Formats: sequence, structure tokens, C-alpha cells
Amino acid sequence: MKFDWQGRSRSNSLVVVGPLAIAMTVILALDTFTDYAIAAAVFYTAIILIATRLLPQRSVVVLACISVLLTVVSFAFTQSGAYEVGLVNTAISIVAIAVTTYLSQKLVAAEAAAYEARERLLRIARVTSLGELTASIAHEVNQPLTAVVTSAGACKRWLAQDPPSIENAERAVERIVKEASRASEIMSRVRGLTSGKAPQKVRFDLNDATREIIALARGQLDRNDISARLYLRQGLPMVVADRVQIQQVVGNLLLNAIEATIASPREPRELEITSEAEGSKTVLFSIADTGVGFRSTDAEHLFDAFWTTKADGVGLGLTISRSIVESNGGRIWAQANEEGGAVFRFSVPSDKATRV
Amino acid sequence: MSAELASTKTRPQSIVYIIDDDRSVRESLEDLFACMSLRTRSFAAVQEFLGSKLDDVPTCLVLDVRMPGRSGMEFLESMSELGLQLPTVVITGHGDIAMGVKAMKDGAIEFLTKPFRDQDLLDAIHEGLEKDRLRRAKERDAADMRERWAALTQGEREVAKQVAQGLLNKQIAADLHVSEITVKVRRGNAMRKMGAKTLPDLIRLVDRLHSS
Repeated sequence: MKFDWQGRSRSNSLVVVGPLAIAMTVILALDTFTDYAIAAAVFYTAIILIATRLLPQRSVVVLACISVLLTVVSFAFTQSGAYEVGLVNTAISIVAIAVTTYLSQKLVAAEAAAYEARERLLRIARVTSLGELTASIAHEVNQPLTAVVTSAGACKRWLAQDPPSIENAERAVERIVKEASRASEIMSRVRGLTSGKAPQKVRFDLNDATREIIALARGQLDRNDISARLYLRQGLPMVVADRVQIQQVVGNLLLNAIEATIASPREPRELEITSEAEGSKTVLFSIADTGVGFRSTDAEHLFDAFWTTKADGVGLGLTISRSIVESNGGRIWAQANEEGGAVFRFSVPSDKATRV
Repeated sequence: MSAELASTKTRPQSIVYIIDDDRSVRESLEDLFACMSLRTRSFAAVQEFLGSKLDDVPTCLVLDVRMPGRSGMEFLESMSELGLQLPTVVITGHGDIAMGVKAMKDGAIEFLTKPFRDQDLLDAIHEGLEKDRLRRAKERDAADMRERWAALTQGEREVAKQVAQGLLNKQIAADLHVSEITVKVRRGNAMRKMGAKTLPDLIRLVDRLHSS
């Protein structure tokens, strides 16, 4: 399945295998009918490199094995030339084929990893834009609500007239019913969008998950000349939570910290990311920045929905983070950093907590 | 409420403009205003509103913020440049304090977040219509006064100006090289044409003309 990311279907394989087989036959013929001194078998590496681009990994390995086999066969059937030279050339060819195969496999794996990282980044970006999404949802819902409230007011007034204007009042009530169901439709559409799925809890290493997110944000850190110091404690118990969700929280806190640091003139621009055990049943994650921080009076609002200190913020990042952490059985809180800036911490239960 | 009803019924010629991209909001607003005997004209966008001819009656504008095309806030800001003097009630589904402050600075008479209390909106609308009615009355008075001033002869205007400066008939006569009788006649004509019943009335009218 790892190869499927390249988006190729297996039916293409036949189209690819044909020309490759012909090329291999040509190499085989050359290798067999020329002198021992001519190491035509080295050209199999070209076949392998082409196959790496076009075929699944396993097929490439099979192809490499066939190439080695054919090299040996050619060696056996070659008529002319010094035997020793042939032996050395054959050995060199086989080593070249093996090394090429190994390196090409590593290349594919690296590309797959890069692709996965990009995918994950996109997923996180989607969560960040969830804030904007929610703002527009609020606007969407507010329209029918406004119509409902206003129509209700109109209805009341039509009825209060002397004599009451029943017909107009009825029309207002009809509009209320219509608009109320429009509002509820919007709500169910939203529920479908975010589909309050229960977290998919798995055991995982919080340090690894954190490093992956930091790797994703590396570009942003470097661009803004921010150094991230990692104090990830070794030998932490595994945590049990939804890995992707927790990574979203880490990503969100990291982005917040980066933004706060950018917004502050304070030097040096440094983030401190720490993981540690809190007792045996909880793992604690914290990220400290030296950014703009928050006023002590704001501390109680930080996690409120639609509360933000950022000019272009929507005020949902921390709200979502809190609901994620809590649905995974943890807590999230913020403190002022003694050296200026803010510290955000969250806890997640370790596997020792859930085994009880 | 009955007093409010009565007051609106005596001035049925005023009009409330509504600019909101949401049809259901427009309809409910139209209905709410209809039961208060207020005439309405609705528009789905700022452009549509600007393309229509405005009525020469006291008006008030209900303006939504988030709309396709030009936003309500942008329109509000550009209103004075466009020479529009419309008392405006801003309604928005996603307002914050900063936006509210900006709207009020740009001359809005009220800033309401959706969904709002119908009474709050009606109060603001009545305030707006009243404001516009007063402004129009004042403008009409000023225009009227300028017209009457224009009907005065050159000599009558000179006399009226000097009277307003507090000069005596004798002094005016000397200054204009005319007889005191002539000054008195011109002063009388000026008062009659300007519709001033007493001398202080005339002085006030001339003052207002020069200050406006």
C-alpha cells in the first residue's frame, strides 16, 4: 500500500514490464555474446532505476533478483574472454545491481515519508482553518435566527393591533417555522462536517509525535529565526490517546507560540518544549515561549470560544485544543512565563493509567 | 407603544432602506417595519442601493456588514464622500467591540449584533428618522431663508447687515449716505421679506445666514 501514494494502479505494471523485459533481454544477449571483459550486466542498474519510478517496491526487488540471476547465466554461457576477468566483472555487476536496488528502495521510502508529512500538515492546516469555518457557520446560523427573532417581534405587534391582523401574524409565524428549520439544517450540516467522532485511542510515544510536529513546523521556525529547545524526557511511559488529535493540539500550541514570539520584540526568540512524567499515570507536555504572553486578567478567558488576542484570530484554536485534550482524558492550562511570554501545558493519561 | 404607533402614523411618508444580502432577514425586517406602518425599500447589495434613486423624504438605513461585493463597513466609511447623509443602523452577525467603535466613528447611530431585539432596532430607526427629519427641516429652513434673503434689494441687505451688527439708524444712514427715513423703510421691508416679526428676529436670521 505504501506505493499507492504515487497514485499508480497496478494495471499499468504490464505496460511497463513489457519494454523492461525487452531491454533486459537485449542486455542479456549483449552480456552473453560479448567478451568476458565487457561488463554489459551493469546496465541492469538502469533497468532497476527506471523500475523504481514505475513499479511497486516488491516488483523492483524481484526484478533485481532476476537481473542477478541473468548475470550469472550470461557468465556461464559466455564463450570468449579470460575466465578470471569474467568472474570479477560478474561480481562487480552483481554488487552494482544490489547497491542500486538498496538505494532506490531507500529513496522511495524517503519520498513516501515526505508525502505523509505533507498530508499531515494539510490535515493540521485544515484544523486551523476550522476557526474560520466556525466563524462563517456562526454567521450562517445568525441569519435565520435574526429572521426568527424579528418575525416573532412583528407577529407580536400584528396581534397587538386593534383589531389584530391575524393574516399578517400567520405569515410571520410561517416565516418563523421556515427560518427555524433552516437554522437546524445548518446545524446538522455542521455536525456532519465535524462529526463528533470519539477519539481513536492508541498507545504511542508522545515524544515521537511531538518531534514529528516540530519537524513540520521547522520551516516556519527557521523562517522567523526562532529556536526550539527540546527537553523530551527519555523513557517516558507510552500515552493512550488519539495520536492525530494530540498532534493537532501540539501543532496548535506550537503555532500559537510561534505567532506570540513573532509579535514580540523580545530576544532571544526561543521556545522550550518539554515532556515529562507526572507520577506514573500521566505524561505532561509543555511549551514555553518568550512572546507577547497574556494579561493575568485574560487567563480565565484563554480557552473560551471566540475569545482571542490576535487581530485576525477567531478564538477557537485553544477551545478546540481543550475539547480534544479533555475528550482524551487530559487537562490543559496556561501560565505566565516568569521570563515573559506564556507557558501552555497539557496532560495525557499514560498506558499505566488506563490499564487499571 | 401606542404613542410610538401614533407618531409614526402621522408621518407615513418616511422610508426605511434595508441593505442585507439575506432574503429572509430582509423579509422579516420589512414585515416588522410594515406593522409599525413604516414604508421600506430593500436591497440585496450596496451596489443595488447606489443604483437606485433615493426618495426625498425622511429616511433611515439598516445596513448589514458582511455582504458579497462591498461590505457594509466599507460603504459606511465612504458615505460622507458620496455626500450621503443617511442615519444608519449597522446590523451584523459577527460584530466585536472594535467593529462597533469603528461603525460609530463612521457615523452610525446604532450598532446591533444579530439576532437583536426588535425593540432596539425600532428605537434606533425612530431615532434615525427623527434625526433625518430634523436635518431636512433645518436644510429646508436654511434654503428658504437664503431664498428670502435673495429677494431683498441690495440696499435692504446692506441695512439689514448693519442692523444685525447693532448700529443705530443714524449711523447706518451716515454710512450709506441715505436719509434716516430711507433706512427705516428698508429695515421695514427687510423685516417683512425675511418674515421677522421683531427686530431681534431679524438680527437672529441675518446671523444664521452668515454662520451657515
